[in-house]
Amino acid sequence: MGEIARKKYKPLQVNPFKLSQPMGATLAFLGVDRCMPLMHGGQGCTSFTKVFFTRHFCEPIAIQTSAVTDAIAVLDGGDYSIVESVKNITKKISPSLIGLHTTGMPETKGDDVCGVAAKIDFPLVTVNTPDYEGGLESGWALTCKALIEQLVNPAQETDDNKLVLLPHVSLQPIEVEKIKEFIEGFGFNVWALPDLSRSLDGHLGEKQAALSSGGISVEEIRALSDAGLVISVGDSMQTCGNVLRKKNPEMRHHHFSHLHGLEAADSLAELLLAETGFSGPPIPVARWRQRLQDAMLDSHFSLGQSRFLVAAEPDQIAGICQSLYDAGGRVTLAISTVDSPQLKKIKAEKILVGDLEDAEQQVEDYDVIVGNFHCEAIAHRHHKGLVLRGFPNWEQVGNPLKNDILYEGGAYFLFECANAATAARDEGRRHPEE
Amino acid sequence: MVNKPKIKELLDESSCTHNQSRKVACNAPTPGATTGGCAFEGAQISLFPYADAAHLVHGPMTCLGSSWETRATGTSYPRRDLTQMGFTTDININDVVFSGEEKVAASIDYIMEHYKPEAIFVYATCVTAMIGDDIDLICKQAAEKHKVPMVPVHAPGFVGSKNLGSRLGGEAALSHLIGTREPEETTPFDINLIGEYNVTGDMWQYSPLLEELGIRILSTLSGDGRIAQICTAHRAKLNVIVCAKSLVSLTRKMEERYGIPSISLSFYGRRDTSDGLRAIAKALGNDDLIAKTEQLIAREEAAIAVKLKPYQAFFQGKKAVLNTGGNKTWSIASALQDLGIEVVATAVKKATEDDRAKARQTLGEKGVLMMNPGVEQAKIIDETGADLLLAGGRSLYTAIKKGIAFADVNQEKKKCYGGYEGLLNLAEDLKNALQNPVFKNVLRRAPWEK
Repeated sequence: MGEIARKKYKPLQVNPFKLSQPMGATLAFLGVDRCMPLMHGGQGCTSFTKVFFTRHFCEPIAIQTSAVTDAIAVLDGGDYSIVESVKNITKKISPSLIGLHTTGMPETKGDDVCGVAAKIDFPLVTVNTPDYEGGLESGWALTCKALIEQLVNPAQETDDNKLVLLPHVSLQPIEVEKIKEFIEGFGFNVWALPDLSRSLDGHLGEKQAALSSGGISVEEIRALSDAGLVISVGDSMQTCGNVLRKKNPEMRHHHFSHLHGLEAADSLAELLLAETGFSGPPIPVARWRQRLQDAMLDSHFSLGQSRFLVAAEPDQIAGICQSLYDAGGRVTLAISTVDSPQLKKIKAEKILVGDLEDAEQQVEDYDVIVGNFHCEAIAHRHHKGLVLRGFPNWEQVGNPLKNDILYEGGAYFLFECANAATAARDEGRRHPEE
Repeated sequence: MVNKPKIKELLDESSCTHNQSRKVACNAPTPGATTGGCAFEGAQISLFPYADAAHLVHGPMTCLGSSWETRATGTSYPRRDLTQMGFTTDININDVVFSGEEKVAASIDYIMEHYKPEAIFVYATCVTAMIGDDIDLICKQAAEKHKVPMVPVHAPGFVGSKNLGSRLGGEAALSHLIGTREPEETTPFDINLIGEYNVTGDMWQYSPLLEELGIRILSTLSGDGRIAQICTAHRAKLNVIVCAKSLVSLTRKMEERYGIPSISLSFYGRRDTSDGLRAIAKALGNDDLIAKTEQLIAREEAAIAVKLKPYQAFFQGKKAVLNTGGNKTWSIASALQDLGIEVVATAVKKATEDDRAKARQTLGEKGVLMMNPGVEQAKIIDETGADLLLAGGRSLYTAIKKGIAFADVNQEKKKCYGGYEGLLNLAEDLKNALQNPVFKNVLRRAPWEK
């Protein structure tokens, strides 16, 4: 746990990797089966978001805009464009849900989206996500919270075999699936909210859907409140766990800051053993634990000689830094998009809320970068190693299947980082200081 | 502030064909049924390729956070390429309540101190236009302080579409840059390239040919452009609009103000490239130049014919469906025909009246002009037995379903298809697509589904 620098004054962001709340909200809605995210604002916010996720996931992305234009922007409380949007969307397709969320413009004029939605006869979940507040993580978390508050039916009884998983935004679809499988191995029936592992995992569907092609269904969300256990992953999601418990106080909520690395995976296994009363884990889990231990040893030679920059959303930084730290990798600089309680716990020498210009100004401090594709330019200019993680990654394919968590993913992640570090050292020898 | 009469005027462009026939607003997005970009995006696209200028986006995170480093606009600028950088005030709730003007001024100072650009474009976005931040005044003061042009760009997303935004970007360049500096020298063959953004180096496929003919590119808006050059654009003899109807207002005004005539053309494919060179030479009106141009065209066409020869047999009898927008509806169609591929249909939904007429001319009477390509393309593939679908990424599923080859000709393309040499890239990519067994393999049924 290192020094946290928050107050550095800079009037602007230069080479930002921060992303907006509305984008996080869109992504969360895409984890609901047959949902149509409807972004209330100018058409550009939606267009940018659509292209952004289409390129990252290499999948068609369902999303619509209320296309607020000049006259409406000034005169109207959002009623017209929202009502028209719902009319036009449902003319062609029948979503199970419309996920209505805001951007900066309607928030600035003070549109009452919840009020408008109440007048519309169609299943809607509304959430306020101005893009001048928070970031990707909070947009996702706020949306998850709204889904719980507005859809989940209250209950008193609990089913101890039923478990709700609340994953943070930076977990890739395969990672959500791996957590579900891990827990299911202990005999639970697991529902993830939101669930990208069934919608954006890169499967080839029967046809190009106009709506999200999978995810948790609206009916399943309504019925979540009889789960005996709730597990939230990532500090951005802790509140959602508490909100879900309000629907049924009998639920037991356990929180994990992340599920990266040996210790975190052990804690999850320990919890599940305690909850089930099992004496040991499923065989594959035990085998993967041994493989991770071996991977830590195999990779520590390279990692131990390397200094890392990790640039990501707070919950993801926390996990990645722990993984690297466990095998001797020194994170000399962690740059977060936004502030978060998570920053206090991060295993890094220096933690900064900032942008990639800050990263480039401290380029002497690290050898390998873990970050999104905007980091490629820095890596290239300064001959650094690069492990592409986070949103967006437009340079590589296969993002939905990148698994860094628990025993199995942890092993693969350490190998990838160690190999990148070795390659960077070799490159450094070929290009001595320029 | 956003100037309402100006937007109205830009939407009602007198040199647009549809204005003579029927009034069709270029600018009517439908709530819940719209997919295009906004005016801010359009302005950014039209001005962004100035690599020696910084582009400061005054707004919240969505506007720039998801849009920087997205376009491969090639530049020969020897210093740090500012088009591959993102600058934004990333306003917060405080700025919304108490104004973000100070932040803009401080950001400009910061950029000048650290990156020393030749100009800064300052973009208003939905939120900052709405709270009324006066970027005009800030830019004026900053320009006096730093002695370089500061250009306010009033194209917040809510004023309309990407197309309108490009026009507003052109307006900003016209009011703040064009005509502010005199060129060191002029030649009788000075031209401006308008609406060529040099994505994947398209412009570099034909600019050496212009140079060889003695035609000088005085300035561009804005591919591989420089601020110093666009300031001298008013001394050009001819405006050449390359593939962009959105900037016709700009060229019309330059004709009215500076007497510069304009022509519109495309550099996709062999015939279009030749016709384009011919049109420029003819418009410059010099007999020697025209003769020289014909010689060059003959030489280049002969050279490319030799290079394309190996592909000819391969493409013979192949049929393609094209689903794209704007002038690509006919320009890529013509390039495909140059390769010996029959174009059985092209989409005209996102094309102007002019483009539709050209598409009809290119495809001939038999060709289908699709007004609703999303629905029509599958049917046409069945009816014609087409071998190839060229479209944006979203149409990939149609191709998979039909088991035919697919090529992406929209924004995700990584290679340049412009000029004579670009045609070779296109040929190679299409050959690879047609030979790729993947389109058959993904249709394979699982053993448990047989």
